[in-house]
Amino acid sequence: MKRLLTGIAVVTGLGAGAVHAQDYPSKAITLVAPYGAGGASDLAARALAESAKQYIGEPITVENRTGAGGMVGARSVADAEADGYTVLLARVGMILNPAVNPQTMVKADEYTYLGALESTPMILSVDGESEIESVEQLVEAIKESNGRMTYAASGATSIDGFTTQALLKDAGLDPLTAATLVPYKGGNALATAVMGGHVDFGAWAAGSQMGPIEAGDLKPLAVFAPERMDQLPDVPTMSELGYETAGQITGWSALFGPEDLSEEVVAKWDEVLDKVAEDSTWLDLAEKRGSISTVGTVDVTEYAKSQFELFNGLAKDFGYLPE
Amino acid sequence: MKLPLFRGALIVGFFALVLFALIPIYVPRPAFIPGFTPPPAWWPRVVSIVGLSLGILSILIALKTRGDAPSDTAPIELTAPIPVLVGRFLLAVAAFAGFVFLMPLIGFLASSILLTGVAIALTGDRDRKLWAVLVSIGLPVALVYFFGEALGTGFPKGALIKQFGL
Amino acid sequence: MFADILMALQAVATIENFLIMAIGIWAGVVIGAIPGMTGTMAVTLALPFTFYMDFVPGLLLLVALYKGSTYGGSVSAILIRTPGTASAACTALDGYPLARQGKAGKALNMALYSSCIGDFISNLSLIFLAAPLAMLALKVGPPEYAMLMIFALMTVSGVSGNSLLLGVVSACLGLLLATVGQDMYGSFRFAITDDMQAGLSVAPVLIGLFALPELLKLIVFRIAPKNDAMKLGDDKVSAAEFRASLKSIIRGSGIGVVMGAIPGIGPSAAAFFSYGEAERTSKDPSRFGKGELEGIAASESANNGCCGSTMVPLLALGVPGDVITGVMLGAFMIQGLTPGPMLFQNNIHEVYMLFIGMLVSSVLLFFAGKLTMRGFNRISKIPATLLTPAVLTLCIFGIYAISSNPFDVVILLVLGVVGFAMFLLEIPTAPFLIAFILGPMIEENMRRSLAISRGELGIFFSSPICWIFTVLIVFVAVTTIRREVQKTRARKAAIS
Repeated sequence: MKRLLTGIAVVTGLGAGAVHAQDYPSKAITLVAPYGAGGASDLAARALAESAKQYIGEPITVENRTGAGGMVGARSVADAEADGYTVLLARVGMILNPAVNPQTMVKADEYTYLGALESTPMILSVDGESEIESVEQLVEAIKESNGRMTYAASGATSIDGFTTQALLKDAGLDPLTAATLVPYKGGNALATAVMGGHVDFGAWAAGSQMGPIEAGDLKPLAVFAPERMDQLPDVPTMSELGYETAGQITGWSALFGPEDLSEEVVAKWDEVLDKVAEDSTWLDLAEKRGSISTVGTVDVTEYAKSQFELFNGLAKDFGYLPE
Repeated sequence: MKLPLFRGALIVGFFALVLFALIPIYVPRPAFIPGFTPPPAWWPRVVSIVGLSLGILSILIALKTRGDAPSDTAPIELTAPIPVLVGRFLLAVAAFAGFVFLMPLIGFLASSILLTGVAIALTGDRDRKLWAVLVSIGLPVALVYFFGEALGTGFPKGALIKQFGL
Repeated sequence: MFADILMALQAVATIENFLIMAIGIWAGVVIGAIPGMTGTMAVTLALPFTFYMDFVPGLLLLVALYKGSTYGGSVSAILIRTPGTASAACTALDGYPLARQGKAGKALNMALYSSCIGDFISNLSLIFLAAPLAMLALKVGPPEYAMLMIFALMTVSGVSGNSLLLGVVSACLGLLLATVGQDMYGSFRFAITDDMQAGLSVAPVLIGLFALPELLKLIVFRIAPKNDAMKLGDDKVSAAEFRASLKSIIRGSGIGVVMGAIPGIGPSAAAFFSYGEAERTSKDPSRFGKGELEGIAASESANNGCCGSTMVPLLALGVPGDVITGVMLGAFMIQGLTPGPMLFQNNIHEVYMLFIGMLVSSVLLFFAGKLTMRGFNRISKIPATLLTPAVLTLCIFGIYAISSNPFDVVILLVLGVVGFAMFLLEIPTAPFLIAFILGPMIEENMRRSLAISRGELGIFFSSPICWIFTVLIVFVAVTTIRREVQKTRARKAAIS
């Protein structure tokens, strides 16, 4: 924790880069998307590249470097030279992973936090033909099943595992044993598992759910987001339903660079992101992906810190980490 | 030692190593997996046990047939004395290792030029020297350009090269 | 409905659309043929362009790239034993020996014909069987999936070797190697170095195992594989040869259609499965792996047979089943469309346009293949002492370019040495590779099943699909072992 705090101190004020960046940028910038093509991080990266290139004056190439739950891409950016030509489209996983995994490949303080980008809701859903109509009924069913109910997630300590576990905790149940985790890889596989009736429920990124929800193959019970989604005005948020911990969990993207980026680079990106915040391409693409732009409205350093503490606390609470 | 026996011993040795040494050390059991589901070590263990038993079986077969088990692959033709063959193999492996070692130092381009040249030389063809030089320099340069243009791949420049500010 | 189709036909039949598809297919073939550049990569790179295109041409561009690259993988597999994409690995088993016999043209043509037929059948299945295929895709849960994959692995572990025992040992090695990295719950296995935490990717393992041993053989034994002189007719597939392979092409296409529709299986497994079936049911299995045209037909029809049906889950359920259709979902979302059953109600016009375009693209694939073949065919005339080292260089660059990760190059080189050692020990490499690809699917689905059933093994026999596979597994096991015993007896008889 101490390292993280010092890291943040370095990041916010005293970025002491040796690189002369008065003329930054003078060549193409690589934006690393740490998850597969077509997914939320990839689309966000490509949208950012499209809308930011005119303001930064150089092309931005998106590179998908996948593996180890996004940490391979994160590692490659953290290891890259701190010259501002390699940046990361960070997702919540980049903070979640170091917060819950002592063996993490990149610690949360090995970055320069450049800016928040968007918040992407996650949805708690059951099979479209399920008898369960509300979160309350779901919690009731979980209690009665005595651990036999199953939920799909990308892994025990993945973000879509924490969604369900936080809900179980808020409902006064044991997050690890009240329902059985069945791991799948990625949102699309989770959707198929719940739609096919192989698994009872799950709470994962909205991106892979909109089609099945529209068709009635999935039934949304609640959203993990600060506000209701425009496309699903009747589905309540977790905080509205009074689930406090679950209400704090949501998906998000941000822009990170390697540790110790020079002040010029940070300033340049501040300037660029200010313009992106009002860019019509960016806002339009964000709306189409179903995400809410947070450029310029959220202080990324504060937010990353609070998210780290949230997940670190939950991990201790759930027993993934020693107290 | 005849090939089948040697092969069987190698198979047994490898799977035994995995089963008794690597799995206990490198496949920890996390606390959060429920008791009724198989732990992470379950599948590697099953596979190594199958491999180990098949290795033992192949040793038994080799002993029973005294190594002259029927086979319909033609035996590998030894085109030179065995020490020469082993020497060539070691040279090739050294070239691979050299590439991995040199790449961070002198960069991807220079070390791949070296590797291509060495690989062509090791094939023993002395009739096409000009082509050999052309290919070993031209191909890596062309590939750096191609992948750089098409995918924006930045190949490592190399620490030593950077020091001289190139 | 007829009027709808006519309207769609009118809308889709523009010069621009044809041009876009032709360029997409052609670029796909070239990209697929370059080791290290995959169809996924091509589709990903093209995605930003579709932001500015109309929906149908944009999607057709992605489809064209995918189809082209799936065929293109076979070109390098045949000519330099370097499968450009994983799904062409089986094509290398027979294609490369054919090229060495001076019959590269024949092999390339057979690959092209079977790819186009598989592709066309797959498109038809997408159009007419989307609903039942989607039902099937949803019915396949973890236990069914595990049984299906075990069945596929059993069929192929006898592939391209003369010893069942060594084939299974090879498969065990592949299964073990596939467990390196994070398991499905997120805990690390065999993470001996930091790099190994992320596991091993398919491309370096595949190319290391297939392409590099050729170089080491050349360096150590210095027998330059002599290319036989080309005889008249060696660059064409005769009508008789085509007829002999037709059964495998049709079966391969069928396998491709079904495996493509089930999320997460994909063309590599389909190609291996189809190849294994062709070998298993062949009158003379010993010719497989030594230049059997039917092997190419089986493998290529199956991998392109996935190309159309892989869109079934995306269009009929709204959920992509693999990375490529995942990118397509991105293209849908950017256009403000949600794929799924509602698409057929709200945007039927676009759906028909897409279908017609896909059918046309199978035909375009044929011409693009013919066009590129001549250029590529010259590669087989380069002397091996230059070509084989050049392949090594190409592989190193291609593999690095995939993920910009130097560790992948290390895996490539190490697996090359492993592949050579396996050659010396007479252990076949094909089962290793297919086990490496199927291994995670088998393990994960078995563990999922047991998590759902709370440890009850009965779940593996709980549905009709499971029963069918149980019967098939027993059948294949018995026949394979019986044949192995007969083979050994015959050999013994021949010796004494």
